[in-house]
Amino acid sequence: MTFSGEFLAFMGLALVAIIGGVLLLNLTKVVHMVVALIFTFVAIAGIYVLLSAEFVAAVQILIYSGAITIIMLFGIMLTKHDDESEPKTGKWRKLLVFLGIAGFAFAVYIGIYNFNIVQVPTTLHENNTMQIGKALYSKYIIPFELTSALLLVALVGSIILAKNEKKEGDSE
Amino acid sequence: MIKELLQSSPGWANFGIFFLLGAVLLLIVLGFVTYGILAERKVLGYMQLRHGPNQVGGRWGLLQTVADVLKLLLKEDIIPKAADKPLFIIAPAIAFAPSFMVLATIPFTDKFQFADIGVGLLYYIAVSGLTVFGMVLGGWASNNKYALLGGMRAAAQMISYEIPLVMSVLGVILLTGSLNLNDIVAQQEHGWFILLQPIGFIVFFIASIAELNRTPFDLPESENELVAGYHVEYTGFRWAFFMLAEYVYLFAMSALITVVFLGGWLAPFGFLGFIPGAVWFALKFSFVVFIYIWLRATLPRFRADKLMEFGWKVLLPIALGNIFLTALIKSLFF
Repeated sequence: MTFSGEFLAFMGLALVAIIGGVLLLNLTKVVHMVVALIFTFVAIAGIYVLLSAEFVAAVQILIYSGAITIIMLFGIMLTKHDDESEPKTGKWRKLLVFLGIAGFAFAVYIGIYNFNIVQVPTTLHENNTMQIGKALYSKYIIPFELTSALLLVALVGSIILAKNEKKEGDSE
Repeated sequence: MIKELLQSSPGWANFGIFFLLGAVLLLIVLGFVTYGILAERKVLGYMQLRHGPNQVGGRWGLLQTVADVLKLLLKEDIIPKAADKPLFIIAPAIAFAPSFMVLATIPFTDKFQFADIGVGLLYYIAVSGLTVFGMVLGGWASNNKYALLGGMRAAAQMISYEIPLVMSVLGVILLTGSLNLNDIVAQQEHGWFILLQPIGFIVFFIASIAELNRTPFDLPESENELVAGYHVEYTGFRWAFFMLAEYVYLFAMSALITVVFLGGWLAPFGFLGFIPGAVWFALKFSFVVFIYIWLRATLPRFRADKLMEFGWKVLLPIALGNIFLTALIKSLFF
């Protein structure tokens, strides 16, 4: 195995992503969890860069930075400042969960160990923004338009919901 | 040169070179921040019919900012008892790191650029959006109502104004056909985008002031309603980090406007091409910084509800109209 800079970067990013995920589950305060989530998402964006998918990486950060901010605001507004989630205890439960995880890890290991991905030379890494655009507007035009219609419906729906609330407030 | 370095095998020598280059850029930026703050105080002073700093470091107050920074470094580091300690410590770092990361992609001249990323413009906007975490976290971790309000406002403002910011540069991207900042500069050889995209430029400029949290959009830290917003509880070095992030963004945003709308390092007329690109870049860049300072001295602060209305009901429709118009012009004439 060659010890290249790419490998080092991948190891660092993967570690950050996994540690972020573990912390997300283990921390007790909502805002701390959201911080762990930020690290996971940014590390995953870094892995996209390593895979030469810069456009996906930039969009990942662009979308999730807004999304996580909203999650954080909800976390701040809907919980008390010092609220902590209560740890659930139960020895049998823990043991069962551990067995389940160990079994899953074993199954994945077996599945991955001899899994042979045929390497095909591709040109996906060259000019990938343009390639994504072309694919979206030619091959996947119907799913793309359906998604945009769905988002539009969601937008209109949220505006109607927000407006209704205001009217009730006025009439009272 | 950077490209060769990136493709060579890793080693301590490469690490050293990258580290050194990064450190040099950091020093340049710190130098800019030092004298940018002084320039801001001087310009604000003269616009308000007074002199500004003129005691420390000779007639022009050249050492005023240096003395201020020294004072900040020597200050006692206070963390409030009720604050969330780990977040309180990490928040200034989260706010500052993206501001320095965005500088990597900006082409200062045709040779002086760190990372020639294919999606440079998108990278800048995406990464600069990360700073808002630092502000919200700092505001929340301080355990102070004014700080929390400031953080909330920062989040709301960043999200609302990021959308017109992205929409307004779409016109430029349409005309260039690329997100790469080098390609965008190369495209401006025969006419700057400020002339081809005047509406886009105005929307971008307004949204950029909001992203920089400067007056008239400095609601997250408005000193006369929220004391100082999200950094009320911060002092000394940590407070300096928040301020540093703000001024590094001023540097980055001015550089980005120079690159995207003012032709980057290109000379305005062909016969002036003998002057090196770095000089042109510096001139245009300084002009943009001056306009930011000028606006700060001229305009009062927005009201919070007006701010949201302005972003969603005025800037966004104009930016969308601009995209439509640009697409029409491009398909008719180009």
